[in-house]
Amino acid sequence: MIGVVLLACLMLPGAGAFAQDGAGEQEKKQCLKCHGEQGSVKKFPDGDFVSTYVDAHALDRSVHRSLRCTSCHKEFTNQRHPDRAFRNKLQFRIKESHGCRDCHAEGTIKSRAIHEALFKKEEAGEAVVCANCHSAHAVTHIAGGNVSKSEEKYCLRCHASEKKMVFRSGESVSTRVKLAELQGSPHRNVGCSDCHFGFSSEEHPRRQFRSERQYRLSSSEICRRCHFDMYTKAAEGIHYAMLSVGKLEAPTCIDCHGGHAISSLGNNRLAVVQKCKTCHSEVYEVYARSVHGGALFKENNKDVPICTDCHSSHGIKDPSLPEFHDTIPDTCSKCHSNAVLMGKYGLSTEVVKTYLTDFHGVTLGLYQKEQKESPERYRPDRPMAVCTDCHGTHGIAAVSGAGVQALKKTLLKRCQTCHRNATENFPDAWLSHYKPSLTNAPLVFIVEQFYKIMMPLMVVGLLFQVFLHIWRYLVNR
Amino acid sequence: MVYREMSDKVEYIRRFSLYRIVEHLVLIALFVVLAVTGLSQKFHALGISQSIIIALGGVDSVRFLHHVAGVFFTALALQHILANFSVIVFRQGEPSMLITVKDAQDALHNVRYYLGLADQPVMCDRYSYKEKFIYWLILLGGIQQIITGFILWFPVAATKYLPGQFIPAAKAVHTNEAMLIFLLMAIWHIYDSMFSPEVFPLNKSIFTGYAERRPETQEKNSGNGQG
Repeated sequence: MIGVVLLACLMLPGAGAFAQDGAGEQEKKQCLKCHGEQGSVKKFPDGDFVSTYVDAHALDRSVHRSLRCTSCHKEFTNQRHPDRAFRNKLQFRIKESHGCRDCHAEGTIKSRAIHEALFKKEEAGEAVVCANCHSAHAVTHIAGGNVSKSEEKYCLRCHASEKKMVFRSGESVSTRVKLAELQGSPHRNVGCSDCHFGFSSEEHPRRQFRSERQYRLSSSEICRRCHFDMYTKAAEGIHYAMLSVGKLEAPTCIDCHGGHAISSLGNNRLAVVQKCKTCHSEVYEVYARSVHGGALFKENNKDVPICTDCHSSHGIKDPSLPEFHDTIPDTCSKCHSNAVLMGKYGLSTEVVKTYLTDFHGVTLGLYQKEQKESPERYRPDRPMAVCTDCHGTHGIAAVSGAGVQALKKTLLKRCQTCHRNATENFPDAWLSHYKPSLTNAPLVFIVEQFYKIMMPLMVVGLLFQVFLHIWRYLVNR
Repeated sequence: MVYREMSDKVEYIRRFSLYRIVEHLVLIALFVVLAVTGLSQKFHALGISQSIIIALGGVDSVRFLHHVAGVFFTALALQHILANFSVIVFRQGEPSMLITVKDAQDALHNVRYYLGLADQPVMCDRYSYKEKFIYWLILLGGIQQIITGFILWFPVAATKYLPGQFIPAAKAVHTNEAMLIFLLMAIWHIYDSMFSPEVFPLNKSIFTGYAERRPETQEKNSGNGQG
């Protein structure tokens, strides 16, 4: 029977946090008015007696601390205190022990090997009293005690019902775990104590948190034990950096993934965007109006990038850093150099190539090379224009369909960010991702064609001269 | 004619003045700097280019060096043009570098000679058609590089007066012309003055100022090197 009592205990929420409901608390107070006083006893006809004193402190630390007095002492209520007659102390104790079995099912008790001998004794007519081992009001965990076959079931005995965990700030959270959510999550085969490390059927430490945020931050640490790779990535990200300087509003694992209803979010692209919106609503609004966001929301298009495609999900870099800015062409080219993907929308993959072979792209590529080779000496003169500097970031609009003149006007403004005195001729210096042709930048095309013909002609002519000269020299000798 | 006896058999003629020697040396130095800093940008994807760029302190430094060398090259070209213009205008010397009909005839004759259709190589003027070809390609190509180079250096200023398309066009000219000049130097000038059997291992005349009197050269002006 021993572990039996324990079973209930564990469910009792650990943290001092479980507040008994008001009525329970009141009931306890009333009972303790008398039972909290030492010295009073219940006498038995044989002269034996038992103290009626209940150590309130021990009860508070017991696994039953959240139970009402009348949960076990069922014959008693606030109004009714029957005077019960027992032949002796043993009879009293046996009677009280029966109450344990109201909650701790016999099968569960029997499943523990340690109880086997006790059941045999009971069958032989010997009385078995739970409190002999587990004590009564101070019932605590026993190391090596009962472990539920299904930990989940075990924990849910308490955590299936609505209870609150109260923080010092006065905030509270429900400790209720919805089984359906848990079973629908990728963690359905993970035991409660696998995540709630330190909690088991034997242990349920009482924890104190200043605020709900503190509690949630602490809970996120749980994830690290299994998802160390993601945790490490996140530790290099901007959110973790914010946390480390005391900006506690920065999100941690559970803020994005949820707790028991955990989700990898990976497949639900809309949900990811919505998650980010929680904090980044301004960006969200701009994104929603962009060519990418529009396709996501209107058509549920799975090809368009969502927040995490560009910013990554865990190791999110500070987008204001040059290191982030300089990798933007790589980010955009993940899709825009994919011929199959771009083909679906009639977009050219030349955009990446033309950027990379032009002044900005070449310079940026060399800057990156320099940075890789000698990061300590890397001091670029100026930032290089990347995709977003001309096309915009979250509010990227489709280029096709927009009027050429309107585009040029916008482009000039963008050019002037770096080239301050640029005039309206200036944007034409950029061939707008087009390859030179007779219709597009004919001057450039003609120059290139001229040299394409001239260069080989000259080289062949010169080599011809050289070989003839050598040949004549050899013949003359 | 100014002859100088260097041995019993070989006659030497004064071909270049100190001014021309120094001018050529400066040109070599600038050419090397411009070629290294320019071609490493043109072929930026090659490993060797990237090594050069990083060794020189990054692409910004490479561009800085290219610009500085370009400015010196511009100065060199300008003084050369002005000096020779005045020589021609004030008739202080003969315009021996001007291309004449004879140069075309010489070239054709030499091709025939190489093919075995003529007995003797041609007797050229003070400067052979080969030397003139290189000279004019460098001079005209150089001017072209100066103009396009400045357009590329100051694109914002250039587009105040020129259509925007001139910038990529200038780039196409600059990069291709550079390659053309480089190939001309690498294939012909280096062959002609170093590996050609007649002068191997090196025609030192541009460094010493004196040239061997060769059968195909008929020096006719007074060898003051100003031609």
